Amino acid sequence: MAAPVLERVAAGPGGRRARRRPGARRRDHLIGWLLVAPALVYFLVFLLYPALSALYYSFTDWNLRTEASWVGLANYADLLFDDVKYPHFWKSVGVTLQYTLVAVPLTLVSALVQALLLNAIRRGANVFRLLLFLPVVTAEAAVGAIWRWLYDPQYGLINTLLGLVGIPGQNWLNTPELVIPALAFIAAWQCGISMIIYLAGLKGIPGAIQEAAIIDGAGPWQRFWRVTFPMLRPTTFYLLVTGVIAALQVFGLVYVIFSGNGRSVTGGPEQSGLTYVLHLYLFAFRYDAMGAACAMSFILLVFIVIVTALQFRFVKQEAA
Amino acid sequence: MSRGLVRGAVVAVLATGLAACGGGGGGGGQGDSKELTFWMYQDRTPQAGQVIEKVRQDFEKANPGVTVKLVKIPKDDYNTKLGSAVASKSAPDAGILDQPLVSKYALDGTIKEVPAGLISEADYYKGALDTNRAGGKLYGLPQDQTTVALFYNKKLVPTPPKTWDELKQVAARVHAADANVAGMNVPKGDGYGAWMFPGIVHGAGGEMVDDEGKKVLFDQPPAVEALQLWADLLKSSPRKITDSDKPFENGMAAMTISGPWDVPTIREQFPDLDFGVAPLPYKSEPAGNIGGEDSVVFSTSQNQDLAWKWLAFMSNAANNGAVADALGGFPVHLKAQAVAGGPEQAAFLEQLKVAHARPAVPQWIQVNDEIIAPAIESALSGKTTAQQALTDAAAKTRSLLGWNG
Repeated sequence: MAAPVLERVAAGPGGRRARRRPGARRRDHLIGWLLVAPALVYFLVFLLYPALSALYYSFTDWNLRTEASWVGLANYADLLFDDVKYPHFWKSVGVTLQYTLVAVPLTLVSALVQALLLNAIRRGANVFRLLLFLPVVTAEAAVGAIWRWLYDPQYGLINTLLGLVGIPGQNWLNTPELVIPALAFIAAWQCGISMIIYLAGLKGIPGAIQEAAIIDGAGPWQRFWRVTFPMLRPTTFYLLVTGVIAALQVFGLVYVIFSGNGRSVTGGPEQSGLTYVLHLYLFAFRYDAMGAACAMSFILLVFIVIVTALQFRFVKQEAA
Repeated sequence: MSRGLVRGAVVAVLATGLAACGGGGGGGGQGDSKELTFWMYQDRTPQAGQVIEKVRQDFEKANPGVTVKLVKIPKDDYNTKLGSAVASKSAPDAGILDQPLVSKYALDGTIKEVPAGLISEADYYKGALDTNRAGGKLYGLPQDQTTVALFYNKKLVPTPPKTWDELKQVAARVHAADANVAGMNVPKGDGYGAWMFPGIVHGAGGEMVDDEGKKVLFDQPPAVEALQLWADLLKSSPRKITDSDKPFENGMAAMTISGPWDVPTIREQFPDLDFGVAPLPYKSEPAGNIGGEDSVVFSTSQNQDLAWKWLAFMSNAANNGAVADALGGFPVHLKAQAVAGGPEQAAFLEQLKVAHARPAVPQWIQVNDEIIAPAIESALSGKTTAQQALTDAAAKTRSLLGWNG
């Protein structure tokens, strides 16, 4: 829709395509460059330059204070194979994969259910949309404090609710096996952005298709699985790819959950919440190994590229 | 491919990249030789801020033409910000430095040695001054010192235990009387628990490493017994109770280990809690940990003489009593008068007399977090014995540090 309008405007009043002199063309180019300049400068200064310097530092031994000394691939080799220097590297990989596998599907389901409910109600949709979106705009420190209370083994609301249906209370954030599910549940609660995107996807499904399905005698369940869900496939794919990338980089959530009472963050009970980026952060800023931390960030980058490429290859993305 | 991918990938890189070039902005003093920048932790209370402000003004009065610019940074972000500032060559003239960082910063020349004749070392508490040493040389001045001690709920524990045996008995009695109350909030196998652990080890006459910093000693009987003590205490102190929010303050745990910084907070938020503070129970000799704030001058400073003068001014006999109190600890200058505190102050001061500095090993934080903390946790969760956990941890520490003993 937008492109023809722009073309018409560019072509000048009356829609007449004027034959232009070469100078005008160059001026157009200049204006184009000027228009993208802010984004380009931002990209070069704040994304590309730091990324390239991080790549350089990943081949060095550097503690932030002294000159970096070149060590070649030593950081990479040590991270992958030396469990004396990096005893918890593979643990952090495992924790992060586990978190991603639990949190991403949970978030997608939660977002889709919320979007379907919002799409179905006629009155008060705005109010509910606002309420469901609140967790996203809440300060992370507050989210951490609230959920530590909710998961409290003595007074926590979650244990109280479980008690009503006869399930014994758990020590959620201090039992290694329960830490990942507990964290993933918080992530699913914070699914507001995915929910909005799903909602937009739902609005984009033509009413005629749904009506045709109704006329053909499809029930609500069939309509969801045969019409709505397949039509949402591009949306789901987008949310899956971005969700996996975000989950592999989870940091803020574990940081605020396990940093209460002025305690140093070492990743929860038995490192069960030591996610990859938290581990990276500790080496960068607590253990004085910025070079190794940069190497960790590049290993993560390569991993994310591979995982994303696999998703593009093997996950259906077109609406059907 | 997708924009999300590229963006995501770049963000991953930024986790380190941006941080490395961020920070900054706090340094200065280069152009005007009379301005001094000093970094410190954010004020604990508004009153503490006023005390520091008064000392600042006194210093400026005594040194006409000099301006001291105080930059206050939340404690949690401090080390990160300082590291970034040093990396981007915008470190302040002087600043507070976490005790275990002094030896690291000294070894790579980030901070300067204390000039001869600045202070008389005999005027300072030895333990506090020693936290500023690296390779036998002095690289900073302490500004306050602190320690942890035993907090006990007077309703549940009428007289505080003095020895480990008494501690176990008291904890067991409390829990037996009410199954919903834990005897003690036993430290965990995290960075904080591992930090407290050496104080307990010293209480059994042991050490974490030898004085020369060449031998790992925390697989020896004193350390094993200390860890076993914590494991034994768990029987009368279930985690299900003590993992609740503020268990000691809420009366769910009869005893806990904490420092003077917690006293005003508890008094303010839990005025009904009747509690006392006593020195840590010990096995063979009274002992504890030392903590607190050191202050250093950065090598990049253009005003080093002035910076040292300011650090010495804050820690002198006249000012250190108030400064140390504002920072949340006790004076480091022997002649400085500690600000009179509540009845619990005596216990902390007594504890400080027998407090031991942390091992001056540059990689100690990493050993503390990555090796000792998990070892403590595996013994406390019952996955291994105390001896096995510490034997493994000691072996890992030896390989990491390249020590033979």
